[in-house]
Amino acid sequence: DTSLAKQKTDIKTEPSTDGFGNNNANDGRVLSASPGSGSSTGSNKQTAAVTPEDQQTLLAVLQFLKKNKLIESVEILRREAGLPENSLDPKATESAGAGSGGAAAVAEDQPDVRVVLSAYSQQGDPTLYEVYYSDLKKFIETVLDCHRAELSQVFYPLFVHMYLELVYNNHESEAKAFFEKFSGDQECYYEEDLRVLSGLTKKEHMRGNETLLDFRTSKFVLRISRDSYQLLKRHLQERQNNQIWNIIQEHLYIDIFDGMPRSKSQIDAMSGSLAGEAKREANKTKVYYGLLKEPEIELPLDDEDEEAENEEGKPKKKKPKKDSMGSKSKKQDPNAPSQNRIPLPELKDSDKLDKIMYMKEATKRIRLGSDNLPSVCFYTFLNAYQGLTAVDFTDDSSLIAGGFADSTVRVWSVTPKKLRKVKSAADLNLIDKESDDVLERIMDEKTASESKIMYGHSGPVYGISFSPDRNYLLSSSEDGTVRLWSLLTFTCLVAYKGHNYPVWDTQFSPYGYYFVSGGHDRVARLWATDHYQPLRIFSGHLADITCTRFHPNSNYVATGSSDRTIRVWDVLSGNCVRIFTGHKGPIHSLAFSPNGKFLASGATDGRVLLWDIGHGLMMGELKGHTDTIYSLRFSRDGEILASGSMDNTVRLWDVMKAFDDLETDDFTAATGHIHLQDNSQELLLGTYTTKSTPVIHLHFTRRNLLLAAGAFNP
Amino acid sequence: AAREVKMSAPKTIPKDAQVMIQILKDMGITEYEPRVINQMLEFTYRYVTTIIEDAKTYASHANKSNVDADDIRLAIQCRMDQSFTSPPPRDFLLEVARQKNQTPLPLIKPYTGPRLPPDRYCLTAPNYRLKSIQKKVSSSANRISVPRLSVGAVTSRPTTPTLGTPSVQSVTTKVGTPVSLTGQRFTVQIPPPSQTTTTKPTTPSTPAVSNVLINPSLIGSKNILITTNMVSQNSGGESLKRKHEDDDDYDAL
Repeated sequence: DTSLAKQKTDIKTEPSTDGFGNNNANDGRVLSASPGSGSSTGSNKQTAAVTPEDQQTLLAVLQFLKKNKLIESVEILRREAGLPENSLDPKATESAGAGSGGAAAVAEDQPDVRVVLSAYSQQGDPTLYEVYYSDLKKFIETVLDCHRAELSQVFYPLFVHMYLELVYNNHESEAKAFFEKFSGDQECYYEEDLRVLSGLTKKEHMRGNETLLDFRTSKFVLRISRDSYQLLKRHLQERQNNQIWNIIQEHLYIDIFDGMPRSKSQIDAMSGSLAGEAKREANKTKVYYGLLKEPEIELPLDDEDEEAENEEGKPKKKKPKKDSMGSKSKKQDPNAPSQNRIPLPELKDSDKLDKIMYMKEATKRIRLGSDNLPSVCFYTFLNAYQGLTAVDFTDDSSLIAGGFADSTVRVWSVTPKKLRKVKSAADLNLIDKESDDVLERIMDEKTASESKIMYGHSGPVYGISFSPDRNYLLSSSEDGTVRLWSLLTFTCLVAYKGHNYPVWDTQFSPYGYYFVSGGHDRVARLWATDHYQPLRIFSGHLADITCTRFHPNSNYVATGSSDRTIRVWDVLSGNCVRIFTGHKGPIHSLAFSPNGKFLASGATDGRVLLWDIGHGLMMGELKGHTDTIYSLRFSRDGEILASGSMDNTVRLWDVMKAFDDLETDDFTAATGHIHLQDNSQELLLGTYTTKSTPVIHLHFTRRNLLLAAGAFNP
Repeated sequence: AAREVKMSAPKTIPKDAQVMIQILKDMGITEYEPRVINQMLEFTYRYVTTIIEDAKTYASHANKSNVDADDIRLAIQCRMDQSFTSPPPRDFLLEVARQKNQTPLPLIKPYTGPRLPPDRYCLTAPNYRLKSIQKKVSSSANRISVPRLSVGAVTSRPTTPTLGTPSVQSVTTKVGTPVSLTGQRFTVQIPPPSQTTTTKPTTPSTPAVSNVLINPSLIGSKNILITTNMVSQNSGGESLKRKHEDDDDYDAL
């Protein structure tokens, strides 16, 4: 018995207290807790014979001892605790949750030990929490200026975790007092979170709130320079009571970097998300952001001839087409994914015709720029009674679809050509299938109308997306389903059930066949139209996914979430390849640039942020809007970014300039911290106000005319 | 008699509504439509009533005379699992995602027309069924099964089939049986063809006719299957009996 105790004390002093991401210090606590494991330890556990919780603790201790090759102790402990021989795999624990998705290289069984321990939750003396916190505050205030900004980052996560611990351990009055005293000190952009916290005073409240549970079990990431970190560590270890140090080790992940400490503005630019910032490793994966090669399409010569006759000479017409279509270099773009990285549907004849139309339109496209702004045409939905919840245009701008709060989906024709349904099967038998205009003949003239209404959903329709070939329409709704509608018969074909909670957004892939949906259940799913179950599940966000967008090469999906981060996922593997933090509110709109290199995002904080996908860094910040930005769109050649917002305006930004300015910067700096200029005013090209109509959708036609849509809101 | 005219007091809001307003203020919501208060009140009343009723059931089940805190707690717990579910926890999702993402993306077959899941999972199937009945000998030789009446279309004229089926036997109501159209599984007997009816435009050759008349526009909450199953047996005058249609004639909807 004594030998065991001695060995345990030996071990306690061994592990250095260097670890912040690893577990040595924690294991020190394991040992100190275990002698008491036979009797009641944590606040709420019973002291019966070996209860399941105690069993798990013992197993965790066993694991640790085995790992450190303390064979004798293992034997003694096993004998004493009366554990059977092969009882080494602790069962999964309860809601304390397995390791966080963001934790970097942690050994397989380490999380079990820590998980078990978090079930007991560190118990400092609750009344002293205030003392610890004020102590830390005083220390940080006395630190050098350059370090103070960085160390102040610790306040918010520490505050939240200490408060949650008090609530979790049922110290309601202390929790309230703690909250009142220190909530005012936190950064202003955490105001929303603090308000949610203020309503959470009992342990039962926590149970239903998935986001907070995730927050508790995942690690809040902070990026601090080595010098600042040393300062903090030294201070905290000098103290007798390491309560704060314990919390930091358990709940925070400190990503140390060597270099200059960051300034307050730099930190403010990147912080704001629910899980802190992104670890550097999270953004290191190679992303193939290039575009896929366009297939070579033979232009039918007779079409060419006809058109050429009307305009200039024949040879002149052919040349420009070939240039734009044929790949400029025969070599593979090193940043582009290979053609068959993910399976894509082959081009049908109708698709080839579409492509030819596309290229013809492209030649007539207006080149936009800071001196040549696009004209804006606004489509206003009247009498929608605040029920318009989603809008989409087809790529050739011929159809517009609206999703409504009364669960209907309506499609209108923008061109004078009316919408027709396909004839019934009996009638189809009668037509001449060999005729040239068979595609016209299959349509039933009697059903021609300006708009069609489609019923099927049982809740407001929040996301809507046309397929690139204009045959299908997708809609996602609060009833948890995503429905595929046919635009030939205007009926519902499939209801994809997977999310059991509201689906906030859905989008077809640029090549059709695949689509992505994201909703309240915090995951995004990738589907194919011919599979009734999703192909990929993108899980990792801490809160609802509000916006999902495909990359132009269809190999990546970006999701924006209420946890104020944007994640980019790889379709092939399902892994998260990029995490972008910096927004201070839920993200409601995303847009990829046409060249695939950049991503623009808009959120409720009224800012548009620009991200470089290849390097994983923030490139620009566009301030100007005063309310949530619900729509973002790059022009066809990527020179202008249009943003539409709840403040009833459409703003145009010169992103060409923003990207040019920063391309020359050195991105290979280890820290990757850029100093962003505050040049939003220069980049703003124009502000166009509507008459009390929030702008929920923007679309550039193939000729670079900007279309906008919204519902009149008097 | 003097009528007391009650003047309404200057707008005082009931206490419960004041509580709701305070909640909205505490949560930082400054702009809201006035009906939000009513909505919140209604939800609260409905929820509390449901919980208390459930708790009363549990208390009586446990043979307790009074409802106590345990019953309430149990009631809340059960309701929580039923209607106020929350999305699955993160570790579960990560595990599911890991498994799902391991399978490679399926290859796409070329030239397949519209790419839709197997028909079972689509909504493209017709939601009605045409049933054609051949010479079906009914189990009891004395019975004649009869065409059921379509709602509102009791006629003695031959009605044109709405679905292109060849011929229709119409039902005559000369039989005199009460034809109530409320029950949709109601059958009416008609006398066998060997008897007196003259209005039937029966094709003489085939007494057993397979025809179906379904008028989709008349379909209400259930589908009405109308079958004409003319099995003529038994020349002797039979008392009209109600017959229960075979179960497989029913559309299970």
